[in-house]
Amino acid sequence: MAVANNELEKVIIQSVMEELAKKGLLSQKRKDHVMAAAMIETPTLPDTQSEEMVTFPPLNEMQISNPFNADAVKAMMKSTPARIGIGRAGARPKTMSLLRFLADHAVAQDAVFLDVSEEFLKRMDLMSVQSAATSKDEFLQRPDLGRRLSVEAAKIVAEKCEKNVQVQILIVDGLSSSAIEANIPDLLPALMQGLKSSGIKVGAPLFVKNGRVWVQDHVASIVNCEVIISLIGERPGLGTAESLSAYMIYRPDEKTVEADRTVISNIHKGGIPPAEAGAHLTDVIKQVLAAKASGVKLNQQK
Amino acid sequence: MPESNSQQIISVGIDIGTTTTQLVISRLTIENTASGTFVPRVEITDKEVIHRSQIYFTPLLDHDLVNAVAVSKIVETEYLAAGLTPESIDTGAVIITGETAKKENAKAIIDALAGFAGDFVVATAGANLEAVYAGKGSGAALFSAQRHQVVVNIDVGGGTSNYAMFQEGKAVDSSCINVGGHLIEFEPHGDRITYISKPALLAIQSTGQRLKVGERVTLPQLRPLVKAMAASVVEVLKTSMHSGLTQELLMTPPLKLEYPIRKVIISGGVADYVYAPCGPATMEEVTAFGDFGPLLGWELKVSFEAAGFILEKPSETVRATVIGTGTQSVNLSGSTIHLQDGTLPLRNVMVISPFTSTVPATAKEIAEVIKQEILRLQIDHSQGMVALAMKGPRTMSFADINTLAQGLVAGMEDYLRQDKPLVLVIEADCGKVLGQCINAVAKHPLEVVCIDQIEVEDCDYIDVGKPLMGGRVVPVVLKTLVFNR
Repeated sequence: MAVANNELEKVIIQSVMEELAKKGLLSQKRKDHVMAAAMIETPTLPDTQSEEMVTFPPLNEMQISNPFNADAVKAMMKSTPARIGIGRAGARPKTMSLLRFLADHAVAQDAVFLDVSEEFLKRMDLMSVQSAATSKDEFLQRPDLGRRLSVEAAKIVAEKCEKNVQVQILIVDGLSSSAIEANIPDLLPALMQGLKSSGIKVGAPLFVKNGRVWVQDHVASIVNCEVIISLIGERPGLGTAESLSAYMIYRPDEKTVEADRTVISNIHKGGIPPAEAGAHLTDVIKQVLAAKASGVKLNQQK
Repeated sequence: MPESNSQQIISVGIDIGTTTTQLVISRLTIENTASGTFVPRVEITDKEVIHRSQIYFTPLLDHDLVNAVAVSKIVETEYLAAGLTPESIDTGAVIITGETAKKENAKAIIDALAGFAGDFVVATAGANLEAVYAGKGSGAALFSAQRHQVVVNIDVGGGTSNYAMFQEGKAVDSSCINVGGHLIEFEPHGDRITYISKPALLAIQSTGQRLKVGERVTLPQLRPLVKAMAASVVEVLKTSMHSGLTQELLMTPPLKLEYPIRKVIISGGVADYVYAPCGPATMEEVTAFGDFGPLLGWELKVSFEAAGFILEKPSETVRATVIGTGTQSVNLSGSTIHLQDGTLPLRNVMVISPFTSTVPATAKEIAEVIKQEILRLQIDHSQGMVALAMKGPRTMSFADINTLAQGLVAGMEDYLRQDKPLVLVIEADCGKVLGQCINAVAKHPLEVVCIDQIEVEDCDYIDVGKPLMGGRVVPVVLKTLVFNR
């Protein structure tokens, strides 16, 4: 098929050239030249079938040609994850910069649209329930549905979760499933160890699919815990798609407002390392329990 | 737990040198610079010198034994002048340099100053540490970080010139040469020589002159000799192939010259004459302080400029070292510390780095390596305290942190039997979780001081002060004595 196409192309090009030459728009010499180019056997077009991976140069590599002070650029690049020191090709970004940008954007989209895998939940031994949002699309279009459990989920939580514990841990996919899979394996054991060695009574951690921060209020109302903590995937950016936040609240009820929540954000390998965050969250939870308050009320007691 | 977001601490720096003794009192502001939703990050955000002492001649009992009681009198007088009591001093460092940097002096000074500041730190500093403090006090460290340029600070004092090379705010190399403005002494404002030191004699010989004590000397006679000394100072920055005089005057290994150098900052007593608009014209001007400092300063300027170096101005000259000591000797640990009450402060904790590259994979191997290293360094457990320093766990995973905790507790088993605290210094941000794991691993409650986000070098000593900011950070004074390794 490819060969036939190639033959056909040659015929078309040849007749067009001859027409142009007849009208005096193309000299014989130019005609031969263009024909020779057209006759090259292998086309120079990129092979879209190729599975070859594109390898990016290391992120910390400075891409500016002939910098005035290379050390200064390197020092600045070290101080920020932003895309600086990437050079330019004329007025446009270099190919690699553009490809990296597109790739990072794709990673961010995957983080939102993919689910936390069943295999992961099994490996972490997490019980899983779903919010009132039945699909990713519905979850994204109807924020209110992500803020409460489905009827079925509420029933499961009521039946299976331990009641009246001091701390209930929720793991919520939120806007980044990647953040859950990247951080929970190191964060959760550190947090559990910290709470247990402090003698704090913790219920079994629970996973909520298609959930938002407020779903913690619904769960807390069922299990009647003192503190509920949600480990939730943050909205991904182009810097990282793996950032996780921890929202904590002391005994939420219908009068709860956003200011009642304590939050620790930016948990990922380039921010607060997840294991260290687990130990830090233990301290914060201890403060919340001691103060019987969270959010702004907690800060005012300090 | 009450937590304030900012705190001020008063820090004292005392520099006891061969010829002079100085003291500065600074106010350091430490603040949590992280926003509310982040893990707190405590940093020193402001350093303000609130009191500068006069410059005293170092009180000596004999040639190199410091009169510690007289030093404590100086400190007392200066506290009074600053309107401060010993109780209001939070931290500080004494740096004993030059000929006076001896163990006996350090001991005597610690004893004499015991009543003046509870958490005082005394460091007998080699020329290298002195050079680094001078470069931090003169603004050279800041210059290199702000301009992103390598800069060498040379602190030219009475007896020595101390080089410290800075790159991005960090000292990367140091050296010391026996050139200073006080190596030949004169009758003040006169031209009669009253003393010639050994290094000065070497310089005199190299120029083929024959100056003797008691003789009168003219400016044209003195100048070539001072030029020779200045040339030696410059030569160390230019090449590693040194002339005979430079080789004889160098007191430490020379600079390694791993970076191209264009900018130089000169501090120390002689520096004021480097940056003067014109040089001394008569012997009377040269010997205004009974030495040849003014002429050395001028000749250094001439030599450096002729060699194509650019001289940048220091923010401090004669007080650079003491200001560096007072404001720069204190580091803060990361905000993740795992401390128990009553353990701090700790003094002269020897730092050992058992892991040369990566941390082994199993707890058993980690314990083995630690035990071997302690055996190799012949550390007697009944003696001083030891801190284990490392970059971090094998990876930042919880499993690897837990493995490290198990290995550390097993490896330090004998040491911990002495009821000593387990002191860990770790570069990675994992102090809190590591401390938590160690407490979970240990069979009985351990005293754990786990300091993270601080870099130390092998075999340095550290002092750890009392916790600040509601227990969130500890001040750590690093005593880095050697750079040439």
